[in-house]
Amino acid sequence: MNPQLTVLGTGIAVVTDLGRTHGPGLGLAVGGALDQYSARVANILAANDERAALIEVTAFDFSFSVDADVLIAVTGAEMELVVGDVERPMWEPVSVRAGERVELSGMRTGMRTYVAVHGSFDAPRLLGSVAPDTVIGFGGSLAEGDRVALNASTVLPPNPYFGMSLFNFDVDRPYFGGTTPISVMDGPDLDEFAGTARRLFDRPYRVTEQSNHIGLRLAGPLPVRTSTGEVLSRGVPIGAVEVPPGDELLILHRGRGVTAGYPVLGVVTSTSLDALGQVRPGELVSLRPIDVDQASRDARAWRARLDTLRSRARTVFACLGIEARDRHGEDPARPR
Amino acid sequence: MNLFADEPVFADEPKLPTTVEIASSGESALRVTGATGDAERDWRLVHKLARALTAGEATLPGIETAIPTYDAVLVEFDAMLLDATTVRGAIAAALEGIDVDAPLKAAPRRFRVPVRYGGEHGPDLVEVAALAGLRPEEVVEAHAAPEYTIRCLGAPGGSPMLDGPDLGIPVPRLRSPRAHVRQGVVSLAGRQATITPAAAPGGWMLIGHTPLTVLDLAGSPFVPYEPGDTIRFHPISDEEHAALRGRRLAPEETE
Repeated sequence: MNPQLTVLGTGIAVVTDLGRTHGPGLGLAVGGALDQYSARVANILAANDERAALIEVTAFDFSFSVDADVLIAVTGAEMELVVGDVERPMWEPVSVRAGERVELSGMRTGMRTYVAVHGSFDAPRLLGSVAPDTVIGFGGSLAEGDRVALNASTVLPPNPYFGMSLFNFDVDRPYFGGTTPISVMDGPDLDEFAGTARRLFDRPYRVTEQSNHIGLRLAGPLPVRTSTGEVLSRGVPIGAVEVPPGDELLILHRGRGVTAGYPVLGVVTSTSLDALGQVRPGELVSLRPIDVDQASRDARAWRARLDTLRSRARTVFACLGIEARDRHGEDPARPR
Repeated sequence: MNLFADEPVFADEPKLPTTVEIASSGESALRVTGATGDAERDWRLVHKLARALTAGEATLPGIETAIPTYDAVLVEFDAMLLDATTVRGAIAAALEGIDVDAPLKAAPRRFRVPVRYGGEHGPDLVEVAALAGLRPEEVVEAHAAPEYTIRCLGAPGGSPMLDGPDLGIPVPRLRSPRAHVRQGVVSLAGRQATITPAAAPGGWMLIGHTPLTVLDLAGSPFVPYEPGDTIRFHPISDEEHAALRGRRLAPEETE
C-alpha cells in the first residue's frame, strides 16, 4: 500500500505538473504550473524530476498530512510553513514525520505556492500529464478530506538539527510584489496595429479581477487594430498579447485555448510568464520591450541556474542516501 | 494537353516550390504560414510539417508541439533547450520531404452529424439569416449541404474546424462573447464552422446543437476524427434530438 497525502484544509489547490506539452497539437491547452520556475525548483529540492506532479496552492491557506515519513519542498508565493508546530523555511528540503500536520498559511506576496513531495504523486494522467483542464473536465481542485497517493515509499533523511535548516541550497528566489516588470517581444501580427503598439509601454497596467490561468486582463492604454480583414483561426502562443473587443488588454497564459482569430500584437517571455503567474488582481505590471535573442539568452540563463541547483542537490542527496528521481513516471492514466 | 495518357498528368511539370513564411512568435514559438499561393496546398503543407516535426523520425528534442490550422502552424519549443535558429533549420529540413499535392489522409473517414437547428438549440440562427439576407431554412440548407473537410483541431477540446457554409458573407463574431456555451453546439464565425466538444465561453454564432457526444477522455484519441476526415450535417427533429442524446460520434462504416 502506497503512502497517501490527506488534505486537511484547502481553498484553491490542484495536483499539477509542467503541463500537457503534447496537448496543443490536438486542441487541448498545455496548462500546468503558472510559475514554472518555482515548480521546477520545488521538485529539484524534493529530489524529484522537474516534471513530476506537485501541488499548486493558489492564494488561500492549505494544510495536509502524510501517513509516512517524507521529504517535501515548498516554493513560490511567500507563505508561513509550519510542520508539526515548528516553522520551517520555504525554498529548502524539509522533512515531515508520518502524521505531522503541515500548514501553509498567510500568503504575503505572490499568488501561487508549490508543494513537492519526494516520490511525487500517483494521479491520473491525460497525454502524459496530470495537469487539470477545466474546459474538458479533467482533474480538478482538491477538497478537504481528499487523499492523493504517493509513488512508492520514500526515505526520510535523519534531521539532527531540529528546527534548523536541513540544507540550504541558496536558491535564486524570484521577487514578488510591487509593480512587476514584464518583458514583451514583437508579435507576428504587430503590423496590424500600425504605430499604436508602443502604447503598451506608456504606463503600467492594472491586473483586473477577470484574470485567471487562461489569461490576464489588464486595464490601461489600448493599442488599436488598424487592419480589418477577417482572421482565420490560428495557433496562438502562450504569452500572446491581444486586444479583444472591450476595454482591456489580454495576455494569454498556460490555460489558453490553443487557436484563436485575434491578431497577436506581442508575446510575453517565458520568464515573465512565471512572474505573471504570481501577480494578484489589482496589482500593477509594467510592460517593457525585449528582443527575441535577449529572451532566449534569459531562458538559457535560467536553465543554467536550474542545472547548477540540480547538481548541487543531487550531490547532497546522494550523500544522504536519497534517491534522486529523473523520471516523472509515464504510467498510463489509472482509473480513480 | 498530355499526350502520354499512361503517365501521371503532372509528371513533367515543375514541382511547385514549397514556400513558407516564418514569423517569430516569442522565444519559444515560430509561426509558419504556407505561401504556395493555393489554400489547399498551404493546408496540406502545414499539417504535414506539424507531423514531420512532432512525430517523424527526425524530431528534434525540445520541439514540444505543433498546432496546425488552416494556413499556418505554430511550432512550440522549449527555449531552455533550443533557439529559433535551430528550429528554423529543422523546419527547412522537414520541408524538403513534404509533397504538398499528396492527400493528407490516404483514406479519410466520413462522419454524419445530426443537428437540431434554431430555437433554443440555435439561438443565433435567425440573426445569421438576417445578416445573410436569407431565410433560416436557407441557412440550414446551406449548412447541411457540403461534405466538409476537417481542417484542424481547435479550442476548446479538439473542436473540428471546418470551412464555413457559403452564406455570401462572413459571419461576425459576437460583440460580447457568451460566458458559457454548452457542449455539442454547432456554430459559425467568419468563414469558419465548428462543433464544440466541451462547454466553454464562446464568441461564435450558434445555429444548432448535436445530441452526440464528441469528446471521450477515456478514448484514445479522445476525439474520433482527425484533420482530413470529413463531416456532413443533417437536420433532425426535437424527438430525434432527445433519442440520440449521449450517443457517441463515430465514423460511418466504409462500404
